Amino acid sequence: MKRGIFSAVIMICTLMTLGVPNAVMSADAVRGVTDSEILIGQWGPQTGPAALWGTVGRATGVYFDLLNSEGGIHGRKIKYFNRDDAYQPMKTKAIVKEFVENIGVFGVVGGVGTSTGMAVRDYLAEHKVPWVSPATGSSHWSQPFQKYIFATFPQYHQEAYVLTEYAVEKLGKKKIAFFYQNDDYGKEGLTGAKQYLESKGMTLAAEVPVEVTDTDLKTHALKLKESGAEVVIMWVLPKHGAIILGVSKAIGFSPQWISCSTLSDPDLMFNVTKGLWKGVMYANFVNMESPNIKKYLEAQKKFAPNEKYTGLFFLAGFYFAEPMVEGLRRAGKDLTVDSFVKAMETIEGWNDWLGYNCTFTATDHQGVKSVYMEQCGDDGARIKITDWLVYKGK
Amino acid sequence: MVFFFDLVIGGLAIGACYALVALAMVIIYKTSEVPNFAQGEMAMISAFVAYALIESYGVGFWTAAGLTLLFALCLGVVLELAFLRPAKNPNILGLIVITLGAEMILYGLAGWKWGANQHPFPVPFSEYGGVTYADVIITEINIWTFVTSLVMMLLLFLFFRYTKLGTAMKAVQQNVFAAKAMGIPTRRILTFTWGLSSVTGAVAGMLIAPIATLDPNMMLDPLLKGFAGAVLGGMTSLPGAALGGYMLGLIENFFGGYVSLEFKSVVAFAVIVLVLCVKPSGLLVRHFERKV
Repeated sequence: MKRGIFSAVIMICTLMTLGVPNAVMSADAVRGVTDSEILIGQWGPQTGPAALWGTVGRATGVYFDLLNSEGGIHGRKIKYFNRDDAYQPMKTKAIVKEFVENIGVFGVVGGVGTSTGMAVRDYLAEHKVPWVSPATGSSHWSQPFQKYIFATFPQYHQEAYVLTEYAVEKLGKKKIAFFYQNDDYGKEGLTGAKQYLESKGMTLAAEVPVEVTDTDLKTHALKLKESGAEVVIMWVLPKHGAIILGVSKAIGFSPQWISCSTLSDPDLMFNVTKGLWKGVMYANFVNMESPNIKKYLEAQKKFAPNEKYTGLFFLAGFYFAEPMVEGLRRAGKDLTVDSFVKAMETIEGWNDWLGYNCTFTATDHQGVKSVYMEQCGDDGARIKITDWLVYKGK
Repeated sequence: MVFFFDLVIGGLAIGACYALVALAMVIIYKTSEVPNFAQGEMAMISAFVAYALIESYGVGFWTAAGLTLLFALCLGVVLELAFLRPAKNPNILGLIVITLGAEMILYGLAGWKWGANQHPFPVPFSEYGGVTYADVIITEINIWTFVTSLVMMLLLFLFFRYTKLGTAMKAVQQNVFAAKAMGIPTRRILTFTWGLSSVTGAVAGMLIAPIATLDPNMMLDPLLKGFAGAVLGGMTSLPGAALGGYMLGLIENFFGGYVSLEFKSVVAFAVIVLVLCVKPSGLLVRHFERKV
């Protein structure tokens, strides 16, 4: 009996390993492209500590549904696979293996998380899988140059650079403190701020790190207060942004707060902080004045009516996928990985999307380098306070 | 000097929360020798229930708080009946794993019901204003946290000292077999222990929620710190656990303020290691050797 089961398992395994490549790799076909379909995947945290950002992957799904309902791209519909990695790199690895070896996707889009993305970056490159818009501002996506990755999230250090520049030159402040998450995310921001200040012969008034799990931030607030900072730039989780504002107010410390684009949903932040977020300045890279927004929110009502949250992170799901679709359009009917990469590299100064001035070249795949700033108004209203700020550092 | 007193206030405020979490853990640990790892999520769910009552059903804060404590009592009782009691020939490790399972279920449940984003927890007192004395601000919420935790500790003390049920619980803690022989329904007492611990945890949850913003991960850090506080003071001593919680809050804040912010959250675990090396049963517990 046991032997019977054993041989059955062996047979099934053999059939599976033989069968799968046959299914997806017949003759000179391109992986993930058929006459009627293009297969595209995305991972993201649908559950777990970062589940708020799971909305990105679902929004991308709405975008593809909208495209398909309009006829698709060159007669091909997009078949979309959205998988939950719960923000755990081990799971991301398994998902990407499934994407490449079982499903056979043409490319991947988005993907929230720096460490989750880093866990699969080299594997994707090895299998020549185009990856458009990793959904974090880490510099690892475009430095060193990655042929198959196209980054559209402004890099954290570039963003911090322009925000610090704004604080010094436009607000005329000299004492600037930096409150950051003690990992790659926060530290890249810190590097950018320091880089700008060094170029002006200045230094930070204080560098205050916070651990992801910390909940009691009183000491952090006291340190910031002690430094006498006029401006505090934060590179933290929404939760820590909310807590630090509360405890700072409780110890009578109220500088001008400036935040990274990861906290660019004023409505959400105003609500969580019970109104303290008013007056906070933050970076944003999604063009809220784009006519596309209305169209996308209508699509959401049609294709995902149960979606509770349709704020900035939801719109980012469209933002991340738009350049990929543009590339697929430009690549034409004869779609291959190489033709797609070439087509992406023709995108120059492109503005017909939710972002600004997207440009890819054969040597630089960091497509977006600018953010603009908003300030939170009454009831979490967005007040645009700058035009696009372009990174001019090295 | 203002900085020093600010650190003291901050340390005591968060220490009061740690102390309550530590007490909740010790109440269960004393009776069954099981550290309950679901404690944090039980408190988190209770805080969410209070939030839902206030925000969605428009119940007043104090009524909501009362109803939440009642809910917490039921939650503790149900968890014990549904998860721990059915365990066959339970050993300590098995029971710990069961509490871990319960923790994951509650965590998933909260994420599914209320989502992963932060919620503002409404409180009827000011989080920013309060008493100012020589430039040191003590906010109303700080004062409430001290008062509530002290009242809770006093109530627990009176309960164990002067009520029949409390005395019965102590008897079960000291010797299950003798208690059984004296006619005490030990299983029912154990179930009630869970209820009482859950109520203590819920108070901690409602005090932490306005400070930490309410989300499913809210109790992750306070639970670990509360546990560390309990180990510091002694896992089998209620006053020890409370003292441990307060001390940990202060140690953490002073370390963060004067030594290194980067290692502030690690210091709690360094304390655990140190205590386990030097005085394994905790500061306030007399060490005893178990004889077979």
